[in-house]
Amino acid sequence: MNVTSTPTVGGSVRSLPRPRRRRTDRAHRGITAAIFLSPTLLVIGLFTMVPMIMTIVISFHRWSMFTPITDMDFVGFDNYARLLNDSARVQAIANTGVYVLLSVLITVPLAFLIAMLLYFPRLRGRNVVRVILFATYVIPTIAIVIIWSNIYAPGYGPLSAMVQAIGLTPPGWLSDPQWALLSLVIFNVWQMLGYYVILLVAGLTQIPEELYEAAKVDGAGIVRQTWSITLPMLSGSLVFVVLMTIINSIQVFDPIYLLTQGGPAGSTNVVSFEIQRSAFQYGQAGDASALAVSLFMLIVLVGVVLNAILKVRKR
Amino acid sequence: MKKHTWLSGLGIAAAVALVATGCSSSGGSDSGSTELTFLTHWGPDQVTMLEEAASAFTEENPDITVKVQAVPFANLLSTLRTQGASADGPTIAGIYDAWLPELARDGLAAEAPADVAKDVEENWPEGVVSAASQDGKVYGIPNEIDLYQLNYNTALFEEAGIAEAPTNWDELVTAAEAITATAPDRQGIGFITSWNSGAVHPFLSLLASNGGSFLNAAGDAADLESPEALETAELYQQLVDAGLTDPSMSGANANTTGPYLDNFVNGKTGMIIMANWWEGSLKDAMGDDFANVATAPIPVGPSGDVSSSISYSWDTIVNGNASDEKQEAAWKFLSWLNGPDSGENGSSAMGDILISMGILPSRVSDVDAHAEALSSEFLSSYVTAMETATPFPTVLGASAAADALQRQIEALLNGQADAATAMKTATTDVDAALTAAR
Amino acid sequence: MSRSRIRPRTLAQRTLLYVLLIIVAAVPLFPLYWLVISAFKTPAEFVSIPPTWFPTSPTLDQVESALTDVPFAQSMLNSVIIAGGATISVLVTSILAGYVFAKYHFRGKNLMFWSIVATMFLPPIVTLVPLYYLINSMGLSDSYIGVLLPWLANAFGIFLMRQFIMDVPDELIEAARMDGASEFRIVWQFVVPLIKPAVVTLAVFMFVFSWNNFLWPLTILRTEAMYPVVLTLNRLMSYTMSFDYQNVVIAGALIASLPTLIVFLISQRVFVQGIASSGVKG
Repeated sequence: MNVTSTPTVGGSVRSLPRPRRRRTDRAHRGITAAIFLSPTLLVIGLFTMVPMIMTIVISFHRWSMFTPITDMDFVGFDNYARLLNDSARVQAIANTGVYVLLSVLITVPLAFLIAMLLYFPRLRGRNVVRVILFATYVIPTIAIVIIWSNIYAPGYGPLSAMVQAIGLTPPGWLSDPQWALLSLVIFNVWQMLGYYVILLVAGLTQIPEELYEAAKVDGAGIVRQTWSITLPMLSGSLVFVVLMTIINSIQVFDPIYLLTQGGPAGSTNVVSFEIQRSAFQYGQAGDASALAVSLFMLIVLVGVVLNAILKVRKR
Repeated sequence: MKKHTWLSGLGIAAAVALVATGCSSSGGSDSGSTELTFLTHWGPDQVTMLEEAASAFTEENPDITVKVQAVPFANLLSTLRTQGASADGPTIAGIYDAWLPELARDGLAAEAPADVAKDVEENWPEGVVSAASQDGKVYGIPNEIDLYQLNYNTALFEEAGIAEAPTNWDELVTAAEAITATAPDRQGIGFITSWNSGAVHPFLSLLASNGGSFLNAAGDAADLESPEALETAELYQQLVDAGLTDPSMSGANANTTGPYLDNFVNGKTGMIIMANWWEGSLKDAMGDDFANVATAPIPVGPSGDVSSSISYSWDTIVNGNASDEKQEAAWKFLSWLNGPDSGENGSSAMGDILISMGILPSRVSDVDAHAEALSSEFLSSYVTAMETATPFPTVLGASAAADALQRQIEALLNGQADAATAMKTATTDVDAALTAAR
Repeated sequence: MSRSRIRPRTLAQRTLLYVLLIIVAAVPLFPLYWLVISAFKTPAEFVSIPPTWFPTSPTLDQVESALTDVPFAQSMLNSVIIAGGATISVLVTSILAGYVFAKYHFRGKNLMFWSIVATMFLPPIVTLVPLYYLINSMGLSDSYIGVLLPWLANAFGIFLMRQFIMDVPDELIEAARMDGASEFRIVWQFVVPLIKPAVVTLAVFMFVFSWNNFLWPLTILRTEAMYPVVLTLNRLMSYTMSFDYQNVVIAGALIASLPTLIVFLISQRVFVQGIASSGVKG
């Protein structure tokens, strides 16, 4: 990028060559880059990467956290070997998998349909609806779980009342082991949907009109248009939404910690809660760290796989 | 790009060096006054009372001051874990007795000096003293004791035509049947779920009243496949199968309120086994209807002779990592706080604070000093039950073991497992938890 | 440039679509509505069967209690300090770093960039304890700085800024360089004005994230006087088991929900557009 001649346009009558162009000097730019980057690198290196390394180190030890970190007992790969021995932990992994799967299966199609509803037909008030949808994302989780525990309450909760009003028996939303996880998924979908809808609406704006015009000329109906035009053209955004949903739901913690504490019968125990409980309740920081490292590797794996799929599709 | 990689490399190296060299400079001993930190989970009213007591102590002991650090109960243990080991961690902590084995093992709970230990052994009941000890050595001064009794709604009993509280399990089932039959949205008896103590302690109380035990004598394995334990699980199964208890009506929130409380208040639950400290909530919620609440001993099972409730207690411990000077000052303060001179009418200041929360003090002289408050209709049953109470085991891994048992109890209540399977799985999981902790 | 081409022809079509729209609006709205009315219900009404859809005798008692029992005003100030500090810092670091990643070339740039992005995938619980240890050993636990340190830079922010700065024409920057502008000036005078929507987006995102974050301040802060709003609400939740207190907690939740909601509503047009564009390029 050492091009020195730029066409002087209009008012830039500074045609006298500059004596030294030190500001664009490569070395100078190197220093600038260093200055610009170092706060970021320092903070992220120090407060994300170093703790990550420490977590890996802790995962090879036994530590109750009541003793200084320098007093840990080394146990090698013991914690990893025993990872799947504990039935609560296995349940946590299984529950997390179900939670992620349900979240993706419910969120993505729903977000897609709502995005289409908010984009294609010219309806009045759809901007307001977009704002309302997004508002659920900005409120602190701790504030919103408080009211949801009432919404999910048996008998006096509005959800149970509405179900009863149509003649069905309401399930124990948070007390029935078969429903509790699903109730939390519903909560998660409610909270995050707006964010994904906005993303997909943006993706829809990128699709050229002409494609739809052409299809209509060919006599294609709405369903056909959606299938052959909208979905393929939106695939980039859809993949992004799927990825974000997976990452967000794998990390879920606040609702479990604040609403169900892993119960009932361990049906809402997820990996992040199990990590927290193993470390802080049972004093098994080593086991917790091993589980955490495994979780991170799993997330990276998912990212790599999705990336590979994307690359294959682009071909 | 050597400059910036060098810069960041330096940053990372600095960080690692910092970590490797461990903690920062410690607080050091102050010349003159010693400041102690008291970590507690109490609410604002009790914190105020504690601070007042601390000021009174400082008046008589000008070189010792006490600062109170209050955190929500749910965060108490995690606070101890993150802050306990550092040099400026809390000097004194109010702990749940189940946490003692770990704290003692890791040095966060210091052994009580001989005179304090003697004072504890002489003035507190044996069960509570043993819960505050490890290997025969006293580590903390007990304060609060909590236990469970059968709470029941006399108005519902009357409606169902039951004259007296059930004293054994057959009567319990009969009473539950009668109450459930009075209205379609009622349950004869409620069993709490989604909250560890609420699920596990009543179950173990019934087990204890059936002559059984949670763990074996050595405390290193479960005793849940004994005939007594199976009978207890079968009682639960019987009540579930007959529709006399509905788990959705007795769930708890993470902050331990929730449907189980609301439904007893609303008169939808006939009986529930609960601890003494919910008296205040019941009074607030029920208003005049509180007169309908009565308490009775845990019904005795077919294989048992004596009604026995599970009990657990709270202790105040001194941080073994604190300087000798601070530890000495801390024991001095705690002895005074729990002694008969610090409160009113022969009670300790601690006793006064506990009674204000509607909580049972465990020191014998405190129980005597507050005999009147403790003789209320609601509490007297609990006070009497203190004698025959079975302390919840305080051994390493008890917390994980209790969670394992909770899962099976909840599975049992939701019809996901039958009595035998639940107890079998519980035994396996509890054993695994106890072994993992050693 | 909204291209909604389909104007629903028939009345039936239009009705159907509007019904759907109302449903889509009602679902997120209902719990928020429930939050508002519950804060003004009496405790007895709150658990009445069947539930009431509007408070029969609204009362301000709970809101009053919530405001006086815990220092909400103080905690709002704390949250502003923490969230404000984090937001400003993230904006500065992300813009500068994003500029370098977007416009400079050097060996190892991509590796560095994607390593930073990879940290986005790290669940916060994983590094909680080591991070606490690190900051505690610097003597910074229980301080505003301690809370802020991990939040001074943000991988998502860098990712976002790079995306948008990549779209700024190189010619513009070259021209500015030719005129003798320092890199610093180029960034703030030329680049930033062109990516304003993204900057506002990042600001709102980071503000909301640091305001709502619960786990980290819970771990690092000890003194109640420094608690942000979410921790104060947590404290309120635990005060007593009292039945009456449920509604006070709900009132507290309502109070705690307002600030981020207001910030969002003020900036929503730009924010929503900014998020939308980030997703498309990602």
